[in-house]
Amino acid sequence: MIRRVASRPEVLVPAVALCVMLIAFLCTPLMNGRALTSFDIFNTFQGLAQLGLLTLGLGLTMIAGEFDLSVVGSYALGGMIAVRAGQSSPVLGVLAAVAAGAGIGAVQGGLIARLRIPSLVVTLGTYIALLGLTSAMSGGLDVTYNNTSATLWLDQPIAVIFSTPSLVALAAFAVAAVILGGTRLGRDIRAVGGDRRASRVAGVRVDRTLVGLFTASGTLAALGGALFSYSYATANPNPGFQPLILSAVGCLVAGVSLAGGRGLPAGLLAGALSVALLGQIDAITAIPDYVTELLYAALLGVIVAIDAPGLRRGLDRLRARGRTVATQTTEQGTHA
Amino acid sequence: MTTASSVLRRVAVRWRADPLDVGIVLVVLAVIVAGALTTRFFSLANGRAILASSAWVGITAIGATVVMIAGSAVSLAVSQTATVAAMIFLETQQFGLPAAIILTVASGVAITALQGAVIGFWTANPIVLTIAAGFAIDGVAIWISGGTTVYPRNAAFGSLNDTPAGLPLAVFVLLVLAVAFQWFLRRTTAGRQMYLLGENPAAARAAGLPVGRVTVIAWALFGGCIALTGIFLAAFNTSANSSLGGTLSLDVIAAVLVGGTAIGGGKGSALRTLGGAVLIAAISDLLLLRGFSTGIQLLVKGILVLMVVIAIHVRSNRRRR
Repeated sequence: MIRRVASRPEVLVPAVALCVMLIAFLCTPLMNGRALTSFDIFNTFQGLAQLGLLTLGLGLTMIAGEFDLSVVGSYALGGMIAVRAGQSSPVLGVLAAVAAGAGIGAVQGGLIARLRIPSLVVTLGTYIALLGLTSAMSGGLDVTYNNTSATLWLDQPIAVIFSTPSLVALAAFAVAAVILGGTRLGRDIRAVGGDRRASRVAGVRVDRTLVGLFTASGTLAALGGALFSYSYATANPNPGFQPLILSAVGCLVAGVSLAGGRGLPAGLLAGALSVALLGQIDAITAIPDYVTELLYAALLGVIVAIDAPGLRRGLDRLRARGRTVATQTTEQGTHA
Repeated sequence: MTTASSVLRRVAVRWRADPLDVGIVLVVLAVIVAGALTTRFFSLANGRAILASSAWVGITAIGATVVMIAGSAVSLAVSQTATVAAMIFLETQQFGLPAAIILTVASGVAITALQGAVIGFWTANPIVLTIAAGFAIDGVAIWISGGTTVYPRNAAFGSLNDTPAGLPLAVFVLLVLAVAFQWFLRRTTAGRQMYLLGENPAAARAAGLPVGRVTVIAWALFGGCIALTGIFLAAFNTSANSSLGGTLSLDVIAAVLVGGTAIGGGKGSALRTLGGAVLIAAISDLLLLRGFSTGIQLLVKGILVLMVVIAIHVRSNRRRR
């Protein structure tokens, strides 16, 4: 049983990472002498709300063997559209943002599936174009969201530790878990990521699955951006590359491989939660930024090592050599 | 008469076979027409401005071309590496300009070749590895510099800001690098091996190609180019902080892709990347002269990248059939 879990990185890696982060989080009072409050947990879930939907969107495309760089673009555009269209009716703003994200995702998915273009380059182009579009919409400036009552309502604590955005994020993960775990679509997604040619031959509707996935990632990213700019009462035309990098870290911590075919929504949740916990630990203990960066580097270093076939081959060779040496010495021992 | 028409037909067939070239020609024509309708676009001063603004991205993009051809796709640690190179360059000013340049290029080569070694020998994923490397490089840089801006104790770099013939020195470096790398890729064994490795890594390995070594060489050259960009950034800004690199990582990828290099490796050329960098700069300049915001400039750049990428794949799909 343990061996089976240990050989599945999509279970082992996020479980270990989440445990380590939880222990570190629980140990923060030792560093600054202040006991943890429910507000710290609330803030951790707020962090999850910020990055969770991006992580889920990116992670779903990664499970299918693609990489949607444009999620940060849809995130920025979603925030801007929501603030622009939702000054009087927040729901209308969210709907407009989500529609834009879905449309962009569907077009990209169509290009990637029909023309078989690597998603990295298509989504890079879209990312640059969307940042430009968002910036052109606002003249390059932050746009304030004046609907204060919506902002206040959105960040009200629910059941002490949750808020609407964090519950939305958790619900999205739950839906993804049900779809990936219990439906034919879920099996198709994994098959498309594992071996595309074989799944085409086996009758999986690869193109439709890809279009659906990119539509999902665009939608989730735009929704995340909309909720984020409501809760901060501003839309930032250029959130930078950092949100993408952090959600990629979340996905990789979830044990999702860039080669595709591997990963679980529960793992993605654990990955996003680990990143959110680390962010909250930073905020509580005020450890310098560079320490966090070095931690991320170390974390990704471990993941690189786990996923590098060449390194594994090298280690196997070493182990095999060690074994032959060992048998030789025992043989010599018996002869003597 | 028949020969003339058959030649024409052959030309037409060849033309149709290459949507990428058709697309690029159309874009260039559009730029020329729009440029002719824009006052001051076709002036010597503006030509210089275009070249000057393409130089920093272009120098690194030439190096990135080699890495992409060799099949390692992209690096997301370019901004951080350039920033660190700029810091090292400013910190070593007291040893004089030549020593500072050599030390900076050597550290750029070392940092980047190390990543290349992990990718080449252990077949690590370049995207994950370079994200990790970006964190590590940035983290160490902030740790050592204390997160403050680095100022040089003495400025030996003044001559790097010279403008012989009205052009910044960086432009000449860019042109020389483009020609040198083109020669390297086409005419040397190591260069040819990079195309083979990018085209089909399994075949390259089976053919006994030194995959690890070739990959390391590609990344080392890339590191040298990033360091040169860092040096020019430092000399121009006369100081360096952790945000100096800016969006260099993505600008570089955009320039390489617009130059028609395939992300999957095996195809591409340094001269085309030079063309890509200059084309992006020319379009941005044109939009600027016509009074469009930076947002619109970014939007057009993104659409250009998309169009080129689509054209490349339409072409290669057609060839496959």
